[in-house]
Amino acid sequence: MTPETSLSRRRVLQLGALTASLPALSSVLAACGGGGGSGSGAVKFSGWDYESALVQQNVDRFKQLNPDVPVEYTPITSAQYVQKTVAEFTAGDGPDALYVYDDSLAGWVAAEYLQPLDGLPGVDDVYAGIYPSNAEAMTVDGKRYGLPYYTDSQCLIYNEAILAKAGISAPPKSLDELEQQSQRIKDAGILEFPIGLTAQLQDTWWGWAWGLVFASGGDVFDAAGNPVMDGPDPTVRDVFAWLQRAATVTKVIDPAVLQLLPVPLDDAMKNERYAFTIGARYALRDYNDPARSKTAGNLKIAYIPSLDGNVVGTVSNTRMYALSKDTEVKDQAFRLLTYLGGFDGDGVPYTAKYWFQKKGLGFPFRKLEQDPEVQAGLATFADPTIYSGLASLARPRTAIKQPWYSEYENEQQKVVQQLLSNQTSPDDAVKALSTTVTSLKQKYS
Amino acid sequence: MTLTAVDTEKPRAGSARPPRQGIGDTARAYLLNAPAMIVIGLLVAYPIGYSFWLSLHRYNLKLPALERFVWFQNYIALVGDPIFLSSLRVTVAFVVVVLGLTVVLGTALALVLNETFLGRGVLRSLVLLPWAMPGVVNGLMWRTIFDAKTGALNGLLLQLGLIDSYQAWLTSPSGAFFITAFAQVWNTLPFTVIILLAGLSTIPSEQYDAAKVDRAGVVQRFTQVTLPWLLHPLLIVLILETMNAFRAFDTIYVLTGGGPGDATNVIAVLNVRTVLTYTDFGLGSAYSWVITIVTLVISIGYISTLYQRGRIEV
Repeated sequence: MTPETSLSRRRVLQLGALTASLPALSSVLAACGGGGGSGSGAVKFSGWDYESALVQQNVDRFKQLNPDVPVEYTPITSAQYVQKTVAEFTAGDGPDALYVYDDSLAGWVAAEYLQPLDGLPGVDDVYAGIYPSNAEAMTVDGKRYGLPYYTDSQCLIYNEAILAKAGISAPPKSLDELEQQSQRIKDAGILEFPIGLTAQLQDTWWGWAWGLVFASGGDVFDAAGNPVMDGPDPTVRDVFAWLQRAATVTKVIDPAVLQLLPVPLDDAMKNERYAFTIGARYALRDYNDPARSKTAGNLKIAYIPSLDGNVVGTVSNTRMYALSKDTEVKDQAFRLLTYLGGFDGDGVPYTAKYWFQKKGLGFPFRKLEQDPEVQAGLATFADPTIYSGLASLARPRTAIKQPWYSEYENEQQKVVQQLLSNQTSPDDAVKALSTTVTSLKQKYS
Repeated sequence: MTLTAVDTEKPRAGSARPPRQGIGDTARAYLLNAPAMIVIGLLVAYPIGYSFWLSLHRYNLKLPALERFVWFQNYIALVGDPIFLSSLRVTVAFVVVVLGLTVVLGTALALVLNETFLGRGVLRSLVLLPWAMPGVVNGLMWRTIFDAKTGALNGLLLQLGLIDSYQAWLTSPSGAFFITAFAQVWNTLPFTVIILLAGLSTIPSEQYDAAKVDRAGVVQRFTQVTLPWLLHPLLIVLILETMNAFRAFDTIYVLTGGGPGDATNVIAVLNVRTVLTYTDFGLGSAYSWVITIVTLVISIGYISTLYQRGRIEV
């Protein structure tokens, strides 16, 4: 082989590699904001990557119905959605229409990324047709910023077959009852640890922790965002005390929950490794799918047990579609938003129903509760009465509109981990959280 | 080892240089190096400088209206910040444990691999493998091994009859701390071994022969011959591994997320969370600079104690 031929071959390989890498390079540049705007007048639509193929399918249907509105849909990894979207807005290259988490909304409004939807056609109708908790979650300083994507409420999920094996005929209503039933299952040798939760530190929220407090009628904050967890109402302290007892004294909560993330918990529930968990209602659709679950049909929905056995609440979350403040294609983007989060020409919230039928996602529209197809679908995986009852009781987290919420959530998760691993006491836990809020308020003032 | 600076540029006394025409040497050197300097400036100096500039600002993307220059307030605030102080304590403990294990195990492995025996090449290659593993994969691997429900370690110990039931290793503060430290050591140990092996290969065999003639035992040969020759490689190891341990993030994040509670919430985890989750770039940049300054101070300490000693004794 001569040097010339060697060089020539290398050169060819280099050029080939360069050519092959161009698409990847261009996508990286686009992801870094180097791509600039679409430049084609298309609506740039971003969302986290939950079932992106189904989203694309739905967007394609919109484009067929609205051939004059081109849409460029970009799914972004859930774990990086907030950071990447913030980076895009900061670089002046944000999307026109986008998904927004309820706990990001106030911050993004304050950062002037979004524009209110008040006065736009059909928005009043949507807000009149959804649960008040969803409307509240999408409103900041009296202005409406979102059309609903989906909502869900936390519930108790229990394995009826396991309870039956232990001679238990009905799910628990109080936390003490939950502990006793779990003890009975444990004593019967059915499961060593009957209760499973997702308690590894995450950058997302722990719905079950909030749900336990709300179910007992307590709250962590007052309406103004001031900490009340260490105040005269002992609910948070008592819920924490129960958690600690169940994890470290009676040991009915699996110690491994501190390592558990949502997907492994789902797998454990579907494989009869736990009798109880607290999670979102839509999880039941997956849990009771015979193709995916060993114990399909046995997993049932119930209200979250409370300290005194009287059900008074649960927590909800709301995901929404919003409009960028600086969009240059406002009309087209709003048409997409209306298709995704509003009513169609027949007065049906098409996309919300689409998601329920495809994946069992919770819907914020009261009207869908009466829809025969929805009723029939719901009956295959959950009790419709309890499902609707939870939606009526649910309320959003009291602090999600504070700019420091994400920092507080992380501290709350740490404190609950400390309770579950016996590193702190309930009294110290609530004091620590209260101190955290005081220092966060100072930091953000 | 003799360390002398070679002075090649000074004109010799009495030498007569012809006067240069046009631009001088210095100017030409700057001119020729300018492209490289610009690239380095853009790729290295600017980001570092910008991060320091950010650390002097109140700059949280959630509060754009409150963005302003605050001098050293972000740094001053750290002194009274319990979250930062707790994280700093965890970090220091983590660095001490990781560094101790790395140096001891790395030296032992290097000494073994420096011997001549059948299969040494294969063993050397195997020892290098963990270094090729990205931190995230390393974290996932150890998480799988230590998993409370399906972990290989639990399975093995149960088979051997050493435990009665599966244990949740990562759920106690001390368990989580030592397992994350061990995972970090496993990942970075090969680098230490390579450096120390290179150091060992430079030791003249005559020195060992002389030591043997003098009836020096294994320990004496190690302390009197091997260790002095390893001081410089150890210096490099200490500096780089200290930096690695201070910056450790991916393995810890995957294994424990910083928990349980604050048990493994090292400063790098806090740093990444502050910047990416809380979008507080000002405070996050201050955290980064604290890591940098602490590492720098420790490195200077290493250099001042070990470098001089190495030069005198070798």
